Amino acid sequence: MDLAFQQTPNPIIEFNGVSKTYNSGTHALSDVNIQINKGEFVFVVGSSGAGKSTFMKLIMREEKANTGTIMVNGFNLTKLRRRNVPLLRRTMGIVFQDFRLIPTMNVFDNVAFAMHVVGASPRTIRKEVSKALSLVGLGHKARSMPNQLSGGEQQRVGLARALVNSPDLIIADEPTGNVDPNMSYEIVSLLSAINQKGTTILMVTHDHNLVRDFHHRVIMLDGGKIVADNAGGME
Amino acid sequence: MKFSSMRYLTKEGFKNVWVNRLMTFASIGVLVACMVLIGLALLVSFNIDLALGNLEKQNVVMVFFNDKNSVIYADENPVSADKLTDDMYLVHNEQEAMAVIAEIEKIENVENNVEYISKEKALEVLKVSVLAGKEQYFEFLDEEGGNPLSDGAKVTLSSMENFEETVDKIAAVKGVDSIQSQAELANTINSIKKGVSVAGTWIIGILLFISLLIVSNTIRVTMYNRKLQISIMKAVGATDAFIRIPFVVEGIIIGIISALLSECLVYFCYRVALDTIMGTLGTSQVVPFGEAAWLLLGIFAAIGVLAGVFGSVIMIGKYLRREGSEFSAL
Repeated sequence: MDLAFQQTPNPIIEFNGVSKTYNSGTHALSDVNIQINKGEFVFVVGSSGAGKSTFMKLIMREEKANTGTIMVNGFNLTKLRRRNVPLLRRTMGIVFQDFRLIPTMNVFDNVAFAMHVVGASPRTIRKEVSKALSLVGLGHKARSMPNQLSGGEQQRVGLARALVNSPDLIIADEPTGNVDPNMSYEIVSLLSAINQKGTTILMVTHDHNLVRDFHHRVIMLDGGKIVADNAGGME
Repeated sequence: MKFSSMRYLTKEGFKNVWVNRLMTFASIGVLVACMVLIGLALLVSFNIDLALGNLEKQNVVMVFFNDKNSVIYADENPVSADKLTDDMYLVHNEQEAMAVIAEIEKIENVENNVEYISKEKALEVLKVSVLAGKEQYFEFLDEEGGNPLSDGAKVTLSSMENFEETVDKIAAVKGVDSIQSQAELANTINSIKKGVSVAGTWIIGILLFISLLIVSNTIRVTMYNRKLQISIMKAVGATDAFIRIPFVVEGIIIGIISALLSECLVYFCYRVALDTIMGTLGTSQVVPFGEAAWLLLGIFAAIGVLAGVFGSVIMIGKYLRREGSEFSAL
């Protein structure tokens, strides 16, 4: 059972009557109401075009909702000004399907980069980056360049970067999409371990086997609507 | 922004210069090519100015007064000496000549060193220059009333601009009979100056435009290569200023390196050109590089740094408005 269910519900993400229609006329989300509490691990599943990407973009404030209100980490995204978006993003860690590591920086610098953005001192950076890299099992590869790492290792660097600032929320957009099944299992295990320490995890995935193996809450989207929300995972 | 962040971003800017060295070299190459052309165009223009300035210094107008001899030896309707009366001419003595000179000096574009030349002095000059060795044939010039020359003045004009207008004003002064000037030379110099100025402005303007165009394109390619870096910066919560600073630092470094390289190249090209010109024409009247060096360096640094910084800031602005998912679609 997730840590969240042992605590008093305390929403970190809240969607109230949220709809999103793109300029092209595509209705991506219709009247979505959902609440995700602090400390939860949530899988977001659905077929292509179900609205998963839009759901994540709205949380990261890459897109704005047409109607409804969205609260993330205490920020009201409907009213959040563009110049304050960086403040919102500093409260979350993002893991991408395509890793998005800077090819000209070594592993240590790729992770440290996220800490420089928040103005951490060089001493804190050294300490925290080493800790994050050890946590993902890459302490010995700090000086390697991204192109010297396997896909799974690159994704673990991405994960270290996402958690190095100790965010309350980690958003993982298909983090296992570009790695082999064994490594996928390892990455979700790692995310679960991070979740056990109290960090909320929101993970989009297509991999139903993973969802079945890890018994976390599952939100299923279809045609822009939430069609299932199973607290106990997928059977 | 914290000091440690500024130090990190400045360091990143320096690092980017080397990490993206291919684009750095391309940008420096383009900037240097344009700045060398601009520098050489400026030096050519400075030298033309100097040459014309030297010609202008020789710009002396001879003014002859309306005295006794100017009436006796007039080209049209001369009056014989025995029929000449004092009221037939205006300048009777040196004092009156000096009064005319004072009037001439009041005219704009006339320098205040108008020199009075008496007909006796003019004859002495003539004897030394033109009549040297033939004095026995011209002894009559020394007899009473034998000197046919008029009293006059040597007038120097400040510039060749408005030459004809100034000469007309001098001619209109009461007591002036005639003027001997190099009007044709003045007109030629004026038209050359105007031509050089117009052509110089166009050439430098076009070169500046081309440099900005190429530099902005080079930066656009650089930015395109770094869209990933910008998207990651945004995803981890970097502010626009935080993202911009390394690019601005990089722009400044590229600008300064380009300026220094251009200065060296222009110096080298100028030396080679001067050696060739001096060897063939034997002229020494050229602008020494040292005189223009700081001005050129200043212009190069300004062009380089402005092109680098503005190019970065303008081009990056376009990418700053995009979000991470839009980058993957680019």
